[in-house]
Amino acid sequence: MIRLAWRNLLRNRARTALTVGGIGFSVLLVSFAMSLQSGSYEIMIDSATGYFTGHGQISHRDFVDQPRLEHTVTNASNLQARLAQIDGLRVFPRAQAFAVVSLAGGVSEDSSAADPQTGDLQNYDPQSEPSSEKSLGGMVIGVDFSAERSYLDVYENVVAGKVPTEPGQALIGSAMARNLGAQIGDELIVLGSGKQGAVAAAIFVIAGIVETGQVELDRSLLLAPFAELADALYLEDEAHMLVLMVDDLSELTATASSVAELLPEALTVQTWQQLMPMIEQSIELDRAGAVLFYSLLLILVAFAVVNTFVMVLFERTREFGLFMALGMRPGQVIAQVQFEALLLSLLGVALGLLFAYPLITYLTGVGIPLDQMGGEEAIRQMQMGSMERIFPKISWSSVTTAPLVMIVGTQLAALVSTVRVRGIHPVTALRTE
Amino acid sequence: MTHSVPNAGPVSSGQESSVQESSQKDSLVKTPVVVCRGVKRIYQQDSVPVHALRGVDLEIQEGEFVSLAGPSGSGKSTLLNSIGGLDGFDAGTVTVGGTDLGALNSAELAELRLHKIGFVFQAYNLIPVLSAQENVEFILQLQGVPSQQRRERATEALASLGLGDLAHRRPGELSGGQQQRVATARAIVTKPVLLLADEPTANLDSKTTSELLEVLQQLNQQQGMTIVTATHDPIVMGFTSRQVAMLDGEIHQDTGSTG
Repeated sequence: MIRLAWRNLLRNRARTALTVGGIGFSVLLVSFAMSLQSGSYEIMIDSATGYFTGHGQISHRDFVDQPRLEHTVTNASNLQARLAQIDGLRVFPRAQAFAVVSLAGGVSEDSSAADPQTGDLQNYDPQSEPSSEKSLGGMVIGVDFSAERSYLDVYENVVAGKVPTEPGQALIGSAMARNLGAQIGDELIVLGSGKQGAVAAAIFVIAGIVETGQVELDRSLLLAPFAELADALYLEDEAHMLVLMVDDLSELTATASSVAELLPEALTVQTWQQLMPMIEQSIELDRAGAVLFYSLLLILVAFAVVNTFVMVLFERTREFGLFMALGMRPGQVIAQVQFEALLLSLLGVALGLLFAYPLITYLTGVGIPLDQMGGEEAIRQMQMGSMERIFPKISWSSVTTAPLVMIVGTQLAALVSTVRVRGIHPVTALRTE
Repeated sequence: MTHSVPNAGPVSSGQESSVQESSQKDSLVKTPVVVCRGVKRIYQQDSVPVHALRGVDLEIQEGEFVSLAGPSGSGKSTLLNSIGGLDGFDAGTVTVGGTDLGALNSAELAELRLHKIGFVFQAYNLIPVLSAQENVEFILQLQGVPSQQRRERATEALASLGLGDLAHRRPGELSGGQQQRVATARAIVTKPVLLLADEPTANLDSKTTSELLEVLQQLNQQQGMTIVTATHDPIVMGFTSRQVAMLDGEIHQDTGSTG
């Protein structure tokens, strides 16, 4: 069967070469495009989630819809310690609150009212602040600077000063700093409500100015040390969220399941798909477009295969009649021709992968400069932030989808013709020239 | 051209015993291999019914070498195809080796052709991409014969027809006579109960015609193989032991009719 199929393919070498070439080119194109897509999605997701949001977040169920101060993750340090046992998972606690932020112009540097190093407001005298005329509403987020800065990109966008390393230091959004007229080293007074409705107040020294690129965020963001903000908000071993970062994004779903098992009923874990649905939708939209493109390509190849096997049927009607006269059933004749189609598609797939695999592997290592793909406009459209190169990602699905689709597609396309073998009558077929 | 099975000349001791066995068979009551009773076949040609067979009665005994002769359109090929299960019939019965062909579906007919009937066609009909050896092995492969056994039996069949040296050539590298002998080897390698040949010499010159007929005759005489051949060639008829002449879809004359 194999020998007969192989020799039949060699009967018309030019036609076989064309069909194999078409299948091979399609496999190469689709595998490469899928790897590129996969790589770009990963960059997009990494860029979006790795900036500040994280790959996932744990929070109180009510906090998802109503991010109120009292909807907290309790026993946060204990939960964080337990979650840290999960392989490849990093957990960062955060607290957040809306507050009024002002420059503490009236507070002298030697005043004992507040310790600018620790932000301790126990000795803070509200009467002494603020002297600045401007007070701005802001989103104050308590973070673990030393832990987060290694994993989140927002800290790479500090345009002045540095990421806080000492207690009592904060990062302020560039627009907020500008609007307040604040400089590095200035003190900021934060006034808001504590968990129980009491006045929450804290003072921080500006260690750095961050420019996220998002105007709204830059206008209102103030990043402060988690422990100090939590203390100011009267949180007792509580956090508003635990940010999750995984080492391998493809393991996120499994990791999220493991995390969910450890959570009490009141808490929930959300992955980036829920946290940033626009990214997911954008990827899905892009995927749908790609599927349309791949389908069109497949249809073109399918036409070539149908044509090949229409010719095969036309040229070999007599031979098929002979097979049946000798005792082969129509189904066996069809199986023989389908096997030829399989061999044809396997050759095409092998040819395509022969070129695709080394190409993708090479580009996975060196990347493709984005400026060669349309420069900044491309970067902006692909939502890849500051990425300069796109790295295709070779995956099982990117190198198996196209081959499988081509093999199945070739079988179906060939079947369109070969099914007509059933209509062949041996006596009539043997009389054909 | 020479081959290992000689014509009616002196026979070897092995062949002598075969001839003796054949003679002994002749003395026994013969079994009909083919029985046709009132076989009718009507074609529609441009909506006009054509009576290809008009109630044919024919009985062929085991070991007979029968020629179905007649002009074009006499119905000889139609009858041959009906006997071979390649074509249906509209009335009557056809039994081959005791099997009623009318009762079989297409799959069962294919099975019958594969195991019980050997075919030799006018146009050789070898598979062009396979060598002579592979062409002969092909039908054994369809029967599910193991590869080693396939190889041995195909080699033996080709050698018996004087084609041992040409086993690895493809049909395109063989003469018409050689191709027809390969086709004959393919037909006999399964040891069928009936060998059907449809105008097997029509494309051959007189020399290769004689050579092929000698081969068929020896298969008949030495192995007792039942052979039915459709022909309008008097040379072919001369080689057969029984001539059935057909005309207008009926048996016009039968030199050894037992039916």
